[in-house]
Amino acid sequence: MSQAPAQRETRERIAKALEGIDHQTSESRDGMTCVDVDRDGLHETLLRLRDFAGFSQITFVTAIDRHPAEPRFEVAHQLWACAYADRVRVRTRVNGDDPRLPSCVDLWPGAGFMERECFDMFGVGFDGHEGLKRLLMPEEYEHHPLRKEFPHQGIEPDKLYREWDAARRAEWEASS
Amino acid sequence: MGPLTPSALEPVETADAGFLATRADALVNWGRKNSLWPMPLGLSCCGIELMAMIGPKFDIARFGAEAARFSPRQCDLLIVAGTLTWKMAQACRTIYDQMPDPKWVIAMGVCSSSGGMYDSYAVVQGVDSLLPVDVYVPGCPPRPDAVIDALLKLQKRIERENPLKRVISGPATELDDTGTGARVYQPNAAVRRSMLDRHPHAPRAPRPLPHPGGEEEPS
Ligand code: SF4
Repeated sequence: MSQAPAQRETRERIAKALEGIDHQTSESRDGMTCVDVDRDGLHETLLRLRDFAGFSQITFVTAIDRHPAEPRFEVAHQLWACAYADRVRVRTRVNGDDPRLPSCVDLWPGAGFMERECFDMFGVGFDGHEGLKRLLMPEEYEHHPLRKEFPHQGIEPDKLYREWDAARRAEWEASS
Repeated sequence: MGPLTPSALEPVETADAGFLATRADALVNWGRKNSLWPMPLGLSCCGIELMAMIGPKFDIARFGAEAARFSPRQCDLLIVAGTLTWKMAQACRTIYDQMPDPKWVIAMGVCSSSGGMYDSYAVVQGVDSLLPVDVYVPGCPPRPDAVIDALLKLQKRIERENPLKRVISGPATELDDTGTGARVYQPNAAVRRSMLDRHPHAPRAPRPLPHPGGEEEPS
């Protein structure tokens, strides 16, 4: 496939920065350069992309649930190189029974919120993230809504409210 | 202030000094219905229409309801305007409980009336699963006129209440219809119950997980 000069330049820069790390580079359907790495190499990849390839900013961390394929979750980190005006997507596959991967809050503190959202919605853990707790759903919530097995109308969506209400009612009855 | 309607209040003119004979109930109701202070619970897009309604163009000051207070202690009309999520439901119920009696609830918009288009895990499928609702306003969002119409309907309804009954026969508190255990003053308990019968938005029961089908990995 013929590549635009800008894309070729991006790929060369990435290949140089990632020398010695096991990775594949490809182009996604929307024309973005994608780097596939496994989870052991993820942190090193992100570090090198930041420091040696100019991808100074993280714009997005999210996951895709590929159930029933294994490894099930595909976690995507999207980076933006301001000086070169290009982007790269780093994709990592993790297993459904142990969805953990290294956190990159030490590289970009701002990634913390995106990792928390990813954890909230998919149950993917990020090692090294202090305070990895739910971002959108209530903290005691038991499910991860964007997983494929989750029905979109929810599993007992009113459970936490009813529990709260029952506790309040018991208190009320005891005091009156 | 609204007019003294002849049906509710019968002014008796004497020759020299003006005085007024009426039923105490009617007088109290007249005062209540023309000074509904709304607690605006603007949760999403409907909140914008609510602001327009309070503003000068639609001007609910004409009906004595412009004094929106952002403290539930000073309000007697809860307007749930917007998409109520289960996470917010606790706050909503707390606000309702903090409002002093007597209190009324308007569910503004399809979101708060029935969940609307958000048939999802996060959204309460109708606030009547946690609060007794007096008037439902359809629309997404309803025009301010529609909410004003709801206000007028509520006023008509307040006219029919018997507020002094509780002075004579003790406070008419009872467990409210929603099964949440709160005791509320319910002058219209029968009406509310019948409305709940007609709109049984029962909270969702647990359902079996659908088996995620498909063998192939989507490309
Ligand atoms: S009813 Fe429509 S306008 Fe109102 S909160 Fe829901 S979506 Fe928004």
